[in-house]
Parts: sequence; C-alpha cells; structure tokens
Amino acid sequence: MSDITPIRRLLIANRGEIAVRIARTARRLGIGTVGIYSEADRTAMHLDAMDVAVALGGSTPAESYLRIDAVVDAALRTGCDAVHPGYGFLAENADAARAVEAAGLRWVGPTPEQITLLGDKIAAKRTAVAAGVPTTPIHEVTPGGPLPADLVMPVLVKAAAGGGGRGMRVVTSASDLAEAVESAAREAGAAFGDPTVFIEAYIEQGRHIEVQVMADAHGSVIHLGERDCSVQRRNQKVIEESPAPGLADNVRQALHDGAVALARHVGYRGAGTVEFLVARDGTITFLEVNTRLQVEHPVTEAVTGLDLVELQLAVAEGRPLPIAQDDVRIGGHAVEVRIVAEDPAAGWLPSTGTITAFSVDDSVRCDSGVRPGSIVSVDYDSLLAKVIVHAPDRGTALARLAAALRRADIGGVRTDTDTLIAIATEPDFVAGGVDTGYLGAHPEVLEGDRPDADALTAHLVAVTLARSAANRAADGRWGFAPAGWRNLATRGQRVVWTELAGPQPTEHRIEYRQASGDWHTLIGDWPEPGPDGALSADDRTVRTVRAGADESGPIGAEWAVEIDGLRHRVHVVAERDVTGQVTWRAAWAAGRTRWREQARFVDHDAEMAGSGPVAPLPGTVISVAVAAGDRVDANQTLMVIEAMKMEHRITAPADAVVAAVRFAVGDRVDMGDLLVELDTTNAD
Amino acid sequence: MSNPAPAGAPAGTRSVLRSRLDVRSEEYLANRTAMEGLWATVADELARVETIGGQRYVDRHRQRGKMLARERIEQLIDPDTPFLEISPLAGWGSEFPIGAGMVCGIGIVEGTEVAISATDMTYRGGSSNPRTVDKSARFAEIVQQNRLPWITLNESAGADLPHQADIFVRGGASFKNQTRLSKLGIPTITLGFGPATAGGAYTPGMSDYTVFVKNRGTAYLGGPPLVKMAIDEIVDEETLGGAEMHARVSGLSDYLAVDEMDALRIAREIVAHLRWRKLGPGATEPADEPLYPVDELIGCASADVRVPFDIREIYARLLDGSRFEEFKPLYGEKLVCGWGSVCGFPVGFIGNNGILFSEESAKGAQFIQLCNRTNTPLVFLHNITGFMVGSKAERGGIIRNGAKLINAVSNSSVPHIVLMVGASYGAGNYGMAGRAYDPRFVFTWPNHKIAVMGGRQLAGVMDIVARNAAAGRGIEVDEDQLNAQKDALEAQIESESSALYATGRLWDDGIIHPNDSRWVLGMALSAVHSAEVRGATEYGVWRH
Repeated sequence: MSDITPIRRLLIANRGEIAVRIARTARRLGIGTVGIYSEADRTAMHLDAMDVAVALGGSTPAESYLRIDAVVDAALRTGCDAVHPGYGFLAENADAARAVEAAGLRWVGPTPEQITLLGDKIAAKRTAVAAGVPTTPIHEVTPGGPLPADLVMPVLVKAAAGGGGRGMRVVTSASDLAEAVESAAREAGAAFGDPTVFIEAYIEQGRHIEVQVMADAHGSVIHLGERDCSVQRRNQKVIEESPAPGLADNVRQALHDGAVALARHVGYRGAGTVEFLVARDGTITFLEVNTRLQVEHPVTEAVTGLDLVELQLAVAEGRPLPIAQDDVRIGGHAVEVRIVAEDPAAGWLPSTGTITAFSVDDSVRCDSGVRPGSIVSVDYDSLLAKVIVHAPDRGTALARLAAALRRADIGGVRTDTDTLIAIATEPDFVAGGVDTGYLGAHPEVLEGDRPDADALTAHLVAVTLARSAANRAADGRWGFAPAGWRNLATRGQRVVWTELAGPQPTEHRIEYRQASGDWHTLIGDWPEPGPDGALSADDRTVRTVRAGADESGPIGAEWAVEIDGLRHRVHVVAERDVTGQVTWRAAWAAGRTRWREQARFVDHDAEMAGSGPVAPLPGTVISVAVAAGDRVDANQTLMVIEAMKMEHRITAPADAVVAAVRFAVGDRVDMGDLLVELDTTNAD
Repeated sequence: MSNPAPAGAPAGTRSVLRSRLDVRSEEYLANRTAMEGLWATVADELARVETIGGQRYVDRHRQRGKMLARERIEQLIDPDTPFLEISPLAGWGSEFPIGAGMVCGIGIVEGTEVAISATDMTYRGGSSNPRTVDKSARFAEIVQQNRLPWITLNESAGADLPHQADIFVRGGASFKNQTRLSKLGIPTITLGFGPATAGGAYTPGMSDYTVFVKNRGTAYLGGPPLVKMAIDEIVDEETLGGAEMHARVSGLSDYLAVDEMDALRIAREIVAHLRWRKLGPGATEPADEPLYPVDELIGCASADVRVPFDIREIYARLLDGSRFEEFKPLYGEKLVCGWGSVCGFPVGFIGNNGILFSEESAKGAQFIQLCNRTNTPLVFLHNITGFMVGSKAERGGIIRNGAKLINAVSNSSVPHIVLMVGASYGAGNYGMAGRAYDPRFVFTWPNHKIAVMGGRQLAGVMDIVARNAAAGRGIEVDEDQLNAQKDALEAQIESESSALYATGRLWDDGIIHPNDSRWVLGMALSAVHSAEVRGATEYGVWRH
C-alpha cells in the first residue's frame, strides 16, 4: 500500500448531507463523483451533487444503501477506483470494506481488520488499555462465574456486542450485581447472539469528549483536537463544539495523547474518532472508536482550517499526511447544530413530509441534504442539515449561531431549530462545560426559543396582516376593495390564533380594521355576552399599525410592521400540510413563532360520525391492543406504530368503546389516517 | 402598496385625465371640511343602527345565545371580504327605526357574490313595518336584476300588526318574488334562526334551500294560541313547527343545523355547490389605481351644490389609471361623457358640469346608444340643476332634445349605476337615469340634494304664483306673511331634499363616504356582471 494511486473517480456510498459534502471536496480536487440512490431517493438533492448516480432500487436501507454487492457493482460499472462510505450505512461494516478491496477498489477508511477489532467493545477496550489510553478498568465476566470484588458503585454492566441500550444495566449496589450480569447476558444473547458482558465504572455526570485522529498508511498519526458532544438525547448528539470549553489542560492533553497512542497501537489508517467520557473529577473513561468520518467533523475543520475529506482521500491514495502534529493549530471556536426533522416538544417525534422551504443565512456554514421539494420519509435518518459557526471565541460563535437560526426559514416538517436556539442562548450552556444530563436538566429548551413581548406582538400582527393580504388576493370578485370594508361598520375582522409553542399552545385574539392605509388593531379578548346577555367590558386599546410587505418569493414575504411607532421586520410564510391545515411561520432576529388560525366552524358531521385517534405520522402498525366492542380507558394503548425506527403508542383520548379497528399489524398508515374508531357516548 | 402598471395598452396610447385641483387651496379645504361634517352626521346615524332595537332587547337576544343580524353576516361571509349594505338608513326621518328592522347587502360567500338579508329580531321581534316592506322590495329588485343568489337569515314575528294596513296586501308580493327568482334560476336559501309565523312561514316555504337551527327555528301557519282557538288542539311550538319536526317529518327543512354557526356553515356549503357562474364578462381592463389619490374625493365636490365644480376631478380619482377617453369634448360641454374603467370593469361615464341644454341632451342620447352597442355599463354622476329653461332654450327644442335623452335612458338595457355627487334637480334627474328609471344601483354622497328644484327657487316660484294670484283677484299681499311662508317653504324643501331624507325614503341604495366611491362602484359593477350585460337595439320613436 505504499505506492501512490490517485483516485480518479469516487463512489460515494451514502445519501443526504454527507454525500453532498463529500462530493463537494471531490469536485474541488478534480475527482469524478458517482452517487447511489434508492427508488425513494430518485429526486433527492445528493444526486445533483454527483456527476452520475446509480439506481439501486428499493426504498428501505436494507434494499438499497446497505447492499454491499450492489454498491461494489455500481462502483465497477461506473469505473470508480475508490468508495467513500460516509457515516452510517456501510461505514463501519468490515465486510463492505473487504468486498470493496477484493474488487480492486480503494476503501476510504481503515482496514477491515481495524474495523472489526475496534467495533468489538471488549476488544477495543483491551486494546485501549494495552495502548496506555487513560480509562477506567473493565472486568470481563461470565454469568454464574466469579464477580470482581471491591467495585466502586455504581457500575455499568454492558454487552460486548451491544448497542442502543439493550443488554445494558446500571447497578448501584453490589448485591444486585450477579442478577444484573445474568439478565444482561440473557438479553444480549437473545438480541445479538452473543451473551458476553463486561462491567465498567458508571459515570453519571460525564462529558462526552472525543478526539479526532488522522493516520496515513506510512505510520504517521496526528490528532486534530477534541470535540465536546455532551448535549445528547437518547445517546444521539444534538450540538457539538471544538474545542471543549473549560477542559483542564492536563485532561485535554491526556485525551489527545491517548487517542494518538491507540491509533498508533493498531496501525490505524484514515480518519477516526476516539470517544471518551470525562467525569466531573477528571476521571476519564474510554468509550469506543468510530472508524469513519463523524457527523460533527465540520467543527474540527473550522478550527483547524483543514478539509477532513481531502485528508481521507489523500490517505486512501496512499499519500503521506501533508501535515505533522506541529502544523495543527486550533484557532477560535466552532459550534455545530444538527437540524433534524423531529419535534423536541413532542418527545422528539419524527416529522415527515415534503420540505417546502429551506434557507439558512449564508453567514454560516450549512451542510444540507435537503431543499424545497425534498421528501422526508420514515425510511431514513431524520438529519436534514448541520449549521456550523466559527468565531474567534465561543460567546461570539453562539450569538451568531442563534441569530442565524432565528433567520432560518425551514418549512414542511417540524424541526428542532427552536430548541437549538434555546440551547444556544441558555445560560448554563452558554457558561460551558455541560454534561450528558443537560437536556434532562433543562426540559425548558425543548419548548424552544421565545421572542419577547414586543416581538411576539409584531409576529401576531404580521401574521394577521399577511393572512388578510392572502385572503384579499384570493378574492376574485372584490379584491380591489380594502380588507373587511363596510359601509356600516360594527366591528373589525376577528381572528383567533393558536401559537404553536412547545407542548402548551397559546391562544391569541386580534381584531383589526383598515383605516385610510393604517390598521387599527385590538389585541386581546373581545367582549363576549355574559349570563345576562350584556357584553363584557372591553379593556383593549387600539394600537395603530402601519405595515407593508415585500414579496420576496413565491411562498413568503418580508413584512415591515410598525406598531405604535416601533418598527419590526418579520419574515412570514404560510404553508398547508397534508391534512389541509395552514400553518403560518414568522421569523426574524427576535425569534421564531408558528401560528394556526382557529377554524371558524366546527364540522359537526365528523363529530357526530364518531372518531378516534389518527396517525401522528406515516408508519407501520406493529401491534394492535384492542378489538371492536372493547371498553377502553382514557390513555389506554390501542395500537403501536413504528415510524422512523421509533415506536409510537396510540392511546384513547377518553373512556370509550371501540367501534372499529381500521388497521391490522403490518399495515402501512399515512399521517392523518383514522386508526381506531371510538364511541364515547356509550362509555359509561 | 400600489398595483402594477396597466398591462393592457402600451403607455401613452390612452388619454389620461390631468387634475387641476389644488388640494391645498382654501376652496378645496373648505369643501373637505364641509363634506367631513356632513359625513359625520351620516356616520352618527349609521352607528345607531346595529342596536336600534334597544340595549335591553339586544342583551335579551344575546342572552338566548343568539347573534345579532350583522354578527351572523360577519360569520357568513368570507374572511376579510367587503360587505356592501343596501339601504342601511332606510326609514330615516320616519316613525320607523332607521334600517327598517332588517339588514340587506351584497357580500362574498365561498368566492361567490351573494345577496344577504337578515331580520333584526331586537326591534319589535323582527316584525315587518311598511318601511321593511319597501326595503325588502327594493332588495328583491336588486337580487333579480343582478341575478344574485340570495341568502335570507330569517327570524320574525311576522307583520307589525298595528301597521298591517300598510303591509298586508302589498307585502304578499315577497313570496311571489321568491318563486319567480327560483323560476329564473336564481337560488334562494333561507336559514331559520327563530320563528317564521303565518305568512312568514312561506319565506322558507318558497325557498330553494332551507336550513333550520335546532331548538331555535320554527315555522307554522298558526301558532299554539291560534291552533287552540281554531281547532281546540293543545300543542307546543316545537311539536307544532320545530326544526326537528320540519327536518324529520314535514320536510320543510332541508338541513338541520346544530346551532347558529352550523347553519351558517351549511349555507356556505350550499353556495359552494351552486358553482355559480356570472353571465357578464367581468373585469377585463387593468385595474391600476387612479393617478390621483381616492382620498382626495372628499374635497372634489362643492359642499354647496350651487357652486360649480369640474366633474372630471371626480373621474380622475375613480377611473383606473385616471384613463378617460372623452366623447365629443367640444360639443355640449356641460355633459361630460366618455369611456374608461373602474376596478377593471369597462364603463361609460356620464356626468354633469351643470345644466342640460339641447346639445348636452342630444350628446347624452348618442353616447348612451354607443354604450349599448358595445355592451358597456353606464355610470351616471349627478351634478345637475335641471334642463335649461327660457325662450331661447324652448325655441332650440329643449323638450324635443330632452325627450331624446329620456328615450335613450329609458330604453337602454346596459346596467346603469348612479352616483349622486351633487344636486339632482328637476327633469335632469330623469335624463340622468334617476331612481324612477330603474338604475341597478344608486349611491349618494352626503352633500347630495334632490328635488324638483332647489328650495330657494321653489319658494321663489311659489312666491310669484301667490303674488300673481293675489294680483288677479286684486288683493294686496301681506309681505310679512308671504315672506314667512316663503322661508318656511324653502326650509321644508331644503330638509326634504337632503341626502338623509332621500336615503330614508329609499330614493337611493345608501349614502357612502366619497372616498369609498371607487370600490363601491367596483362592487356594484361586479354585481351587475352577475347577470348578462347586453345593450339595447330598439328605442322609442326619436323626435328629430
């Protein structure tokens, strides 16, 4: 492998933002690009980043991106000389690496042997210990066999082949250890076919810090600093940054040295990440090695000024690393956030649909795999894009990040953008050094970022006037006349809005009328008849509004709203979802809000026909818990739907009798489908 | 926010009116101030209408969970769309309430222009008085002539019995009108929000569609007391003629609404399924704003109708892009005729710069014929003190020429819309398609005066007649008495010539704020296009 073989054409065996990002570097280096795609992805954005792309058919990953033979065939058919797996899919699959190399192609990554070795948790840990990597000790045990004495509690019992939390037990008392080992082994055996378990120290309040290493095939190993990825939910990273804030120099040094030592010990090739957990007291535990490019690699690129994909390709070509450790300079601070199609306030419920808008301020780096028209389905990962900011210091980076995210216009699916803004401005996070328990300790960030009162009013007014303008534009008869014109005026136009903020939507009432170019608006509850029929007192005050819109695109407008002499600029977009409901989004520097107009009429027919829960998202029915005629209690589980690799319980909204079950196990359901018909009238 | 430039014609190929009005001049500011004052009086009257039934009855109505008539309309029409009330001050100056106890107007429901009428239950139980009969008869004309689907929001105790003599016989025409509308293919939809008793029960009965609100809407020919009296049957209202009974048993109610809002929702669904198509060509011209702000209209007309002003200043603020192709500009200059468009609707404008002479009359007659040839609706802007009198005029054939104008106006079949921007005196009112000549709509500015002639002239004429009569009988006139009579007569005529007096008597379809004129004309023109727009080819004998 010592001779240099330039890569002329690269097969990028991935999709989404990472495929686009790899293609960008390849194109810059004059390397031809070949993509692959499933049937579901036939219009996906990553295809347009490629010179050519090969259809694999199928829609699920197993039918497409995970098919090693198809990927190798695609590379051979298109004359590629190397395969870059990106992350996920085949990236840490030793068989894939082996098949690629067996076909005479280069694998942009470590050797199959290294993937196998480091993919085994116990083997990796043993290797780390052998290499002198700082870590807490592990104890390999067998069920029923002897257990190590004098362990410091708590400890973690883990399956060697485990993942996703299965085969894992936290033990706080020595007396529970034997039982935990047995049950973990039993579960691991059932789940992974390998009952091997081990025990390690359990660090409750650790920071997830990882070190980027880069090694060539000539024995040269360098590190590119560390990344702090402590903000996580369900073991998935949300925000990553480099360098890790407030880390003691000796700890940082130990992590860097340990990572380089481990890579050198195994003769590592390519880009890799050595992950650690660092306890409050500085105790370091080695977690694992990721033998691939990481999602969060851009923060390292930002602070080092290097292109990691370029380095990967150079190593794969057999070139020596172009830089030595002393050449690596960490400059400034970089933060990356992951924009995912999930609703944090709804338990990170996946959101699917068609992207209607996607634009992010170009003052920041945005690695995106979607654009307007892209389809977000249940079949693939929910990551839409990553936004990366780089600034001289962390405070500036976070401020710029929040500003850019507040201006971002993303429509069609729910995303975590508001939560990302909330985190970027939350005092504990801004102070730096949070641990992996951060989101648990700060549930308020899930509700998103809140604009102040003035901005909220401006958004309310802007959305109201935008809706009015849309209504006027839709009036094909009298569109020339002012909104709500009356020759005998009794009241203004009234709208009840629901602001969709977090788990507790709030209601806002606004009344307005046009008065010689200005608008007279009344915000708050209008008078309603009391028990005696007399109207309640009206304590609203007229607020004079001047407003104008700059129609900047087909779906949105920039509104300038001046309320009692205070001028705001608000970006307003309306969009209709698959259920026909229109959501209005307002955004500008002060924050982002979402609004839905309350319907004027109730559809009594539907109410009378009887109804029940509808599918919250498209997916597959994996279990049905009730049958027609069953009496069910409120919140009782009726059905479970799997979507985007997660299970969603469908529960009864009230005590009821099941009138009909509309779907069976294995059926596909679409968002909005009525799943179970309930009769609430005969419940008692 | 201005409209884009006209797309139709290349720039510079159409004549454009240039305003000579100095909006900072004392004269303009005085006119504006005076007009604002006149409007304020009208606005005060309009503000009284919604709760004219009295707070006690309004509260009682709301206590029953009911909405006021205009609240129902607000919930019926499409959000943010305008609503053009017709005859909102009918009954002004009479013993009956202003508004006449009902709301009539044109609005947009499901994108369709519809006529909407609603009874006001808070004034004497929604009963109809003689003014209500007048107002609904006028509205029925609008419905029929303009071919507008009609939604009636009904609840009424029936006729105001003490006034039955002025209601009963002629009031029966409303049911005839309903079925004739149906025959013409104009849909009628009645929503029963409350009682429909006796004759009133035929309002749902004659409708194409009926919706009754559960536990609220009722209909019966005779109520429980009458039934007890007549056949000794004891029955409650709900059993006798409740919404459920009519929906499930009698079949009078086509839809049963859960509540008032549900009835309005159902009405919207009915309108949606009509898939209503207008028969006129609709707006075909660029609808760009006039070059001069419509807000300047308020000072364009003289507050004192005796002071002349140039009608073109009003044209320049009504017409799209202020474009106006003037017809015969050098002939009969006191009648300003020409072509343009309002809110995209092509129109012929006929307006007065004062009195009508023979030339003006002949010119107007020709212009009306030309507009009929091209199926172009006409807008008449009245600022007319009458036809010219005197020996010179008579010898010039003013009667003969005036007859041409009246012949043309009477037999013209394109829609006529009248805007009263000043005086409308004498036979000039007839020649300009006044109320008696069946214009589709008549709207009035607050400075408007209407009578056979001005109060001063009329009093003066009567003074001369009295003096001549006295002289004939050789009696000495009592100057003081005669002057007192003259002043009293002038004051009476002046008050009976006012815009409010006219609107109270339904001589117009409503007083409007001058600055609203452009879109009121636009709405009226749009409404007339709901029916066919076709010019006449035949007229009476022309007296050449």
